[in-house]
Amino acid sequence: MDFGLTTEQEALRDEVAQFIKENVTPEVMAELESSLEGGRGPHYDAMMQKVADRGWVGISWPIEYGGQGGNRIDQYIVEEEFARVGIGVGGAGSGAPAILMAGTEEQKKEFLPGLLNGKIIFALGFTEPQAGADLAGLQCRAVRDGDEFVINGQKMYTSAAHYATHIYLMCRTDPDAPRHRGITIFLVPMDTPGITVRPLWTIQSDPPAPVGTTYGMPRTNEVFFEDVRIPVSTMLGEENQGWYVGAMGLNLDRVGASRYLISVRRDEDIINWIKTNKTNGHSLADDPAVRDKLAELWIEAQVCRLMTLRSMSIVERDGNFTYEGAAEKVWAPEHGVRTTETISQILGPYAQLLNGSEEAIEDGLFAHNLMGSFQSGINHGSVQVMRDQMARRGLGLPRG
Amino acid sequence: MDVLPSEEEQMLKNLAREFLEGECPPSLARAMELDEIGYPPELWKRMAELGWTGLALPEQYGGQGMPLTYLAVILEEAGRAIAPVPLHSTMMTALTIAEHAIDTQREDILPRVCSGDLILTWAFTESDPRFIPEAVNMQATEDGEHYVLTGTKMFVDNLEASEICLLACRTAPRSADSQGISLLLVDTRSPGISGTPLTTLAKDRQSRVTFDGVRVPKANLVGQLNQGWPIVQWMLERGTALLCAQMVGATRKDADMAIEYAKNRVAFGRPIGSFQSIQHLCADMTLWVDGAQMLTYEALWKIDQGMPASVEVSQAKAFCNDKCEAVVRSSQSIHGGIGFMMEFDLHLWFRRVTSWTMRLGTSFEHRANVAKALLDTPGEVRLGLPLITVP
Ligand SMILES: Cc1cc2nc3c(=O)[nH]c(=O)nc-3n(C[C@H](O)[C@H](O)[C@H](O)COP(=O)(O)OP(=O)(O)OC[C@H]3O[C@@H](n4cnc5c(N)ncnc54)[C@H](O)[C@@H]3O)c2cc1C
Ligand SMILES: Cc1cc2nc3c(=O)[nH]c(=O)nc-3n(C[C@H](O)[C@H](O)[C@H](O)COP(=O)(O)OP(=O)(O)OC[C@H]3O[C@@H](n4cnc5c(N)ncnc54)[C@H](O)[C@@H]3O)c2cc1C
Repeated sequence: MDFGLTTEQEALRDEVAQFIKENVTPEVMAELESSLEGGRGPHYDAMMQKVADRGWVGISWPIEYGGQGGNRIDQYIVEEEFARVGIGVGGAGSGAPAILMAGTEEQKKEFLPGLLNGKIIFALGFTEPQAGADLAGLQCRAVRDGDEFVINGQKMYTSAAHYATHIYLMCRTDPDAPRHRGITIFLVPMDTPGITVRPLWTIQSDPPAPVGTTYGMPRTNEVFFEDVRIPVSTMLGEENQGWYVGAMGLNLDRVGASRYLISVRRDEDIINWIKTNKTNGHSLADDPAVRDKLAELWIEAQVCRLMTLRSMSIVERDGNFTYEGAAEKVWAPEHGVRTTETISQILGPYAQLLNGSEEAIEDGLFAHNLMGSFQSGINHGSVQVMRDQMARRGLGLPRG
Repeated sequence: MDVLPSEEEQMLKNLAREFLEGECPPSLARAMELDEIGYPPELWKRMAELGWTGLALPEQYGGQGMPLTYLAVILEEAGRAIAPVPLHSTMMTALTIAEHAIDTQREDILPRVCSGDLILTWAFTESDPRFIPEAVNMQATEDGEHYVLTGTKMFVDNLEASEICLLACRTAPRSADSQGISLLLVDTRSPGISGTPLTTLAKDRQSRVTFDGVRVPKANLVGQLNQGWPIVQWMLERGTALLCAQMVGATRKDADMAIEYAKNRVAFGRPIGSFQSIQHLCADMTLWVDGAQMLTYEALWKIDQGMPASVEVSQAKAFCNDKCEAVVRSSQSIHGGIGFMMEFDLHLWFRRVTSWTMRLGTSFEHRANVAKALLDTPGEVRLGLPLITVP
């Protein structure tokens, strides 16, 4: 057992923190805050180029695909520092682990370096109107026609589809096979004719959430496919094996610093706010009930952190998850909700004020968090479905 | 960074589990609840022969000088088997002697602990159960080459089995430069000591011990006169972390039993473990005991590294108290009526874990310690970085 970082890793963390202080400027933050395009803009792009030049992107990825061939913990250190200011780096990202595991050599060369440097952005095309938690019920159809597939159907809540270059698309290719055995994944360019994107505005869209908000996602999308023709070479993994390819990728996607930080930054935020603010001469730090509750949440937050470190340790040992990825995905979101709700009862009426209100605390950060925190317990595997996985796959309890 | 057990730690764990599964069935725990001294000397001797009592004690006194995380693995497995042995009180006391006593005291005590010939206990609590210096009021008055002790100690573990008790007493009023507390090695057979067994939830061996003019040689002082409080804190920190390990082991076993039961018990024509409400409860139980385990081992690891760990120990114990209790209570619920029956073994775990949640600091006390570090210190907090500890 070793819960510590090496001296080199501590130096790396300090170096990244210093870099962020110097380079994540108010201009970069302004782009992050105002943009609907995943926070991108000229200042942001220039900053990210410097990050890539330092070799901090895709640290644990193979060198031949644009990575550094290093270890997962180093990557985690970089991810953590950037995730604290609301920036995703590190190259985990949607779809990439699955391509690494199941892609052809051409696909790896085509996509991985681009995913790392941000030139390629995937939207995740899993969910449909009639297939959410029960994803295997998806109906979006892909029919083989010579060297091509023809796609017809609809995807739902497809975040990033309005600025993504590609969609990582799950389709039904064999409607007669058992549900899980008739699904195939395609890597489809978004500019393929026949694809239409329609916005779905979230409850985080108006007023815009301040930077640092949990799940501060103003917009997601519906995506419609009408006779979309794509070459067979866009298929990821084998035909009708898409369920297994996707499941593999999702599991790895769930692991990482950003996921746990989404759920614990609020703990730090409220404690640090209380330490430096008084109202009418009164400090909440003197209230015994508040003290007890904050300590309780802090301890839970440590468990979020430790569960993430456990997953990292498993990845680093090339081990397999039985339930650990799912465990993280239950504990962290639910902890996040407990914190945001507690904060609202600590701050009282001020915690309702949204971005733009003059008296709002931290630009309404806590109020916007409250609107978004439950969300991380729904997507990427809802807490209910994750508990099912833990019980059945992890504990061996029988199906109903 | 690799938070999973190393190969060596895993081997030790497997070995301990195999041994205890063979030698320490639940019937033994049951029998010892009714026993005069409360532990089976043969089992204790064999555990010592396996090197467990000396595992984390210095090599020069017959130990193996291994880190606390190794000893914790043993306590975790002892907890799993609810082994009725005085391991926790002996280790907590022996570690303190190894660190803070003088050579002659160490030479007298530690080799006998390693060989399994000496069982130890400690005494701090009086009427006020909080772990603060003000709770110690038992006076030690000087009389020539002796101190004379009069007063009462509560919740003393394994008194009947222990030959020596490391005892906190008051040798001076609290002052600016000391808490006025001293530690003495007391021979439990000294005239004037009388113990009354307490009937506890765990039915373990805890006693009320009265001291009536008990004479203790001055040479038995551990550490400096009046400067015992930091040593007490040192001891409590380790004792608490090791108790957490024991709780985690017992709780994990308790959860395992519930999961096993759910696979086999049929209601409404199918195993109850196929009902989602039972499945999700089992998933939660796993989250809770996993969290307790990771917090515990991080605290122990920090102690081993010589880092400040008071906050981490408090984190672990507060979480263990709440969540281990939640696990064993849930396990009772999954077992339905049978778990409430004396003849069924489950309650042996339930009663012990529940009792341990009340030892060595309640959730409130430990969260108060964490809150101090979070709120009464300058600067910002950040998860994953050390907090400054407030005395
Ligand atoms: C902001 C946002 C962004 C998103 N981004 C994407 C994206 O980029 N790409 C993408 O593909 N999807 C995305 N999603 C979709 C997300 O993954 C789904 O919302 C999620 O899978 C749940 O599906 P659903 O909304 O249809 O709910 P449903 O599947 O209808 O579920 C409703 C409730 O029933 C519960 N439930 C379902 N089955 C069971 C069961 N067996 N046992 C117990 N409870 C059950 C669920 O847990 C949930 O609580 C996004 C969603 C949101 C809100
Ligand atoms: C002290 C005591 C006194 C009692 N007195 C009497 C008495 O006087 N007369 C009498 O007739 N009985 C009595 N009982 C029996 C009591 O009513 C039963 O214990 C109770 O009905 C549960 O049955 P069980 O113990 O067989 O548990 P089981 O039915 O085996 O249930 C085990 C667990 O599975 C859960 N479970 C079962 N089905 C489902 C499902 N569909 N979905 C989710 N979870 C499920 C249960 O909630 C429970 O947690 C007594 C029990 C006790 C402990």
